[in-house]
Amino acid sequence: MKKSIGDNMIPKDWGFERGLELVKRAGFDGIELWLGDVPWFQMTTTDAQVRELRRKVESAGLFVSNVSTGLHWGTPLSARDPSVRAQAARIVERQIETAGLLGTDAILVVAGLVTEEVPYNEVYQRCVDALKPLGEKAARAGVKVGCENCNSEQRFLISPREFAQFLNDVNSPAVGIHLDVGNIHDTGFAEQWIEIHGPRITRMHLKDVLKHRGRSGDQSVYTNLFLGDNNWPAIRAALTKVGYDGWLIAEMEARYRFAPDQQFYDTSQAMDRLISGKL
Amino acid sequence: MVMGRREFLSCAAGALTVALPNRRWPSHGGGASAVVLLDLAEHCSLRESIVGYALASAGLVSHRPLLIVPAAVAIPGAAMYRITNCLRAGGTVLLESGAGFAGESRFRAHRDAVQNGWQVRIERPRPKSRDIPYIDYVWPYATKIRDFSRVVPLAVQPGEIIARADGHPVALTRRVERGTLIYLGSPLGPALWAGDAEARQWLSRLFSL
Repeated sequence: MKKSIGDNMIPKDWGFERGLELVKRAGFDGIELWLGDVPWFQMTTTDAQVRELRRKVESAGLFVSNVSTGLHWGTPLSARDPSVRAQAARIVERQIETAGLLGTDAILVVAGLVTEEVPYNEVYQRCVDALKPLGEKAARAGVKVGCENCNSEQRFLISPREFAQFLNDVNSPAVGIHLDVGNIHDTGFAEQWIEIHGPRITRMHLKDVLKHRGRSGDQSVYTNLFLGDNNWPAIRAALTKVGYDGWLIAEMEARYRFAPDQQFYDTSQAMDRLISGKL
Repeated sequence: MVMGRREFLSCAAGALTVALPNRRWPSHGGGASAVVLLDLAEHCSLRESIVGYALASAGLVSHRPLLIVPAAVAIPGAAMYRITNCLRAGGTVLLESGAGFAGESRFRAHRDAVQNGWQVRIERPRPKSRDIPYIDYVWPYATKIRDFSRVVPLAVQPGEIIARADGHPVALTRRVERGTLIYLGSPLGPALWAGDAEARQWLSRLFSL
């Protein structure tokens, strides 16, 4: 397995190149690029500028593990307004395009948001309808669309079997799950999600979760690896069982208050322990 | 009536008279009547609404000619003719507004079309209150159906108010010539498309009238 970390973890005043140096020094193999979440990679970034990002990544001795985005939280594929949905689809299309330019074969999509306003049945059907043509587009580009399980935040596809049924309904070999082992909270167990989805896992996000504490105001429930309630030996065993050998991508919500670069080193070493199985 | 007899018409602006024969509405003597789903193409703002009506009306039988116009914004002349023709023939027209999410110019086009065509006076779209996410229908029977975030309210005018949102009228039915016009300021089609049981029941009751 290879280790990656999001470029949105790079301290804001560091810049991309300095951030890449840190990622490499900390021992990562790759970097996850977040479309729309960092100044160097926006929807307005041209193809030539994207190629330049790739050059910088490769010059630092790294690979692009995947293209993610947080843009779908504000512009979901499940929106009732057709113009918002069209923009959401365009974001996915741009992710697919840039994945090709960056030499990676996976993107992350937050597929839909159930809200008080937009009910579950609408969200489900709209996401299925949207992902069918996007899956075809991704397949033509040789890219996998990984729908992330943001269980608590999305209030959508809460159980692993339900998520599997959703992927069955989309029915595209290019659409799978970007499995985040920290997002399951107290609605289940990450190792069971890994077992159920196995070959459909496109990428994995790693973080730990304080699943019994719950979110209190703006207090995060997410924490660094091994500090939370995930059963990491079981997660590691499940990865072996399903034969997952792809990218593991660190996604830390909480940032170190001081010495922010230290979080990169600590996270990388924790991921080494996970991969080695010495837990 | 079964699906085989149902008509699904495409009504791109100005193309109706070319694309379709100038057919008459069949008289209705108690048997099954024609049901027409009028697709306004680029003037239909919610494609899922078309699909919703198509899915939900499959297998339903209407006892009078019924013309359904889903998610209408602007209404091209050919479609206006079709609607007027149906009303003159004693049929029912279900005209669903798709202007809730339309921009200013598209809303004006919709407002002018329904006012000039059938004297239906509407107000600017506005968000529905989030406290209670339902439209309260009182006709053809009392029920609550999921809203669609934004509504096109109705001004005070002749006709029977059949639905309210946050207490404001958003749907009416009115006799027009020999027929019946039903105007929905909150789209029903997306709820039909999403399998909403109350929405489907409402449409079923409309068919059975």
